[in-house]
Amino acid sequence: MAWPRLIKRIFSDPDFSRKRAFLKSLELFQDLGFAELGHLAQSMHDRTYQEGEVLFLEGDIGRALFILESGKVELTKAGPDGAPRKLYTIAPGDFFGEMALLEQLPRTATATAAEKSRVFLLYRSKLEAILHYQPRIGVHIMTHLAQLLSARLRRASGLAAERPAAAPSGSGERLPSSDGGPLPAAP
Amino acid sequence: MTRERKAPSLLPALLVCAAALYAAYLARQALLPFVLSFALAYVVNPVIDAVETRGVRRFHIVLGFYLTAACLLYLLVQYLLPVVSAEVAHLQSAAPAHLARAQKLAADLQGRAARHLPLSSLPLESLAAQAYASAAGQIRLLPSYILGLFPLLSLFFLVPFITFFLLLDGPVLIARLIQAAPSRYVEQALHLLNEIDASLGHYLRGILIVALAITAASYLGLLALGVNGALAIAVLSGVSSFVPYLGAVVGALVGGIAAFIQFGTFPAFLKVVLLFTGIRLADEALLQPFIARYSVHLHPLVFLLSLMVGGEIFGFIGLVFAVPAACIIKALLTVAWEWYLSQARGKGHEPRACVAVPYT
Repeated sequence: MAWPRLIKRIFSDPDFSRKRAFLKSLELFQDLGFAELGHLAQSMHDRTYQEGEVLFLEGDIGRALFILESGKVELTKAGPDGAPRKLYTIAPGDFFGEMALLEQLPRTATATAAEKSRVFLLYRSKLEAILHYQPRIGVHIMTHLAQLLSARLRRASGLAAERPAAAPSGSGERLPSSDGGPLPAAP
Repeated sequence: MTRERKAPSLLPALLVCAAALYAAYLARQALLPFVLSFALAYVVNPVIDAVETRGVRRFHIVLGFYLTAACLLYLLVQYLLPVVSAEVAHLQSAAPAHLARAQKLAADLQGRAARHLPLSSLPLESLAAQAYASAAGQIRLLPSYILGLFPLLSLFFLVPFITFFLLLDGPVLIARLIQAAPSRYVEQALHLLNEIDASLGHYLRGILIVALAITAASYLGLLALGVNGALAIAVLSGVSSFVPYLGAVVGALVGGIAAFIQFGTFPAFLKVVLLFTGIRLADEALLQPFIARYSVHLHPLVFLLSLMVGGEIFGFIGLVFAVPAACIIKALLTVAWEWYLSQARGKGHEPRACVAVPYT
């Protein structure tokens, strides 16, 4: 049994294994197999942000999904007076900015590193390539995103029902985007 | 959400790009092995990436690839060396006869022309004699020409050496670039890298596939037609096909003339031309749709302009890399323009309108 372990130690890439193990620990990817996680790990870029560095500003065009590996990221939104209002604090293992994978629209919140943070980025075109060449991984991610959207819409519908006067009756109301919002548990 | 912002100036970025291009022009000779290595690394990288998804260290994958490539190259040389020697020896021995036949054909042509046209004074004989003397002299010098190619051999060692490090450290360089990008513009940096990668990678891989396919098809076709020097003509045609549309034209002309001189009949010339027309049509029908699907689409005029400018500044290498360079410039301009618009107006794509129906 010593030989296979020695060969594995010589030939396997520890950084890649760590990245894959982290992705495997996420609910979003835990059903994926060894090779699929390898493809996914290769499609992602990583970057370390120092405390106070801005990941994106409210209004920037979103093009990537962010997954926090370590550290802390704060989501804020400008209030009516222009002052930033804290929305949510992202913890390791959470992902945010996922709406960029569905449509290229302005971010609805600002993300700032609250402490030194390591983040994985999945760029939109990389997801498209995964959907094309590795459809099982792509469908898995998209299904998860759809479930997340559904959960947020349910909650938004519930909030709107609780405050009927706040929303004008009729039509055309834009339901709140999930981008940058808190991450609820699946319904 | 729409926010009015101050539009940033693109002038500094454009000045930096212009300065970089001018520096590249001044150092073009030194850059040649790096450009070739970069292209080779781009072509090979998907193979390395595919194995890396299994969790193997990149160093071992690149090393394994080099060892495999060396073995394949050794086998190829073992097969090709006797063929090349035979073709050179045959060319040297048969050249006087071929040149004499060419002279005779020229004389016949003059005779026919004189019968139908008032061109009795056409100096075809003297022209043919001059061409014969010149060609005979050149063929005698063939071994020295081959020896003259030896300085180019440095590229055969330098390019794989540089490519090794590009393959090994390419992802590290990209990671450092992303880390060095201002935090807020990481997505834009990724956008730019992705745009360049999408167009350049597919173009380079595609054109290499086309060159190999044209070389193989030409060689087999010319062998079937019994044309001497099939390998040399096929390789010439394959190398020429790195310049878009040139491969089949060069193959048809050189191969056609070689067949005409060898067999002395016009149908022999026509058969070779038909062979290369068939190869070109097969390339257009089978390979180009696959290659062009993911490449950046350039307007034909931009395509032509890039070829002319590339050829004028950098010669043959400029012709080969004109289209990839145009792809990079187009990607840079597209990303810069999108960024400028988003910064100036804070707008992305239009959102879907039909969100009025409540979620049920």
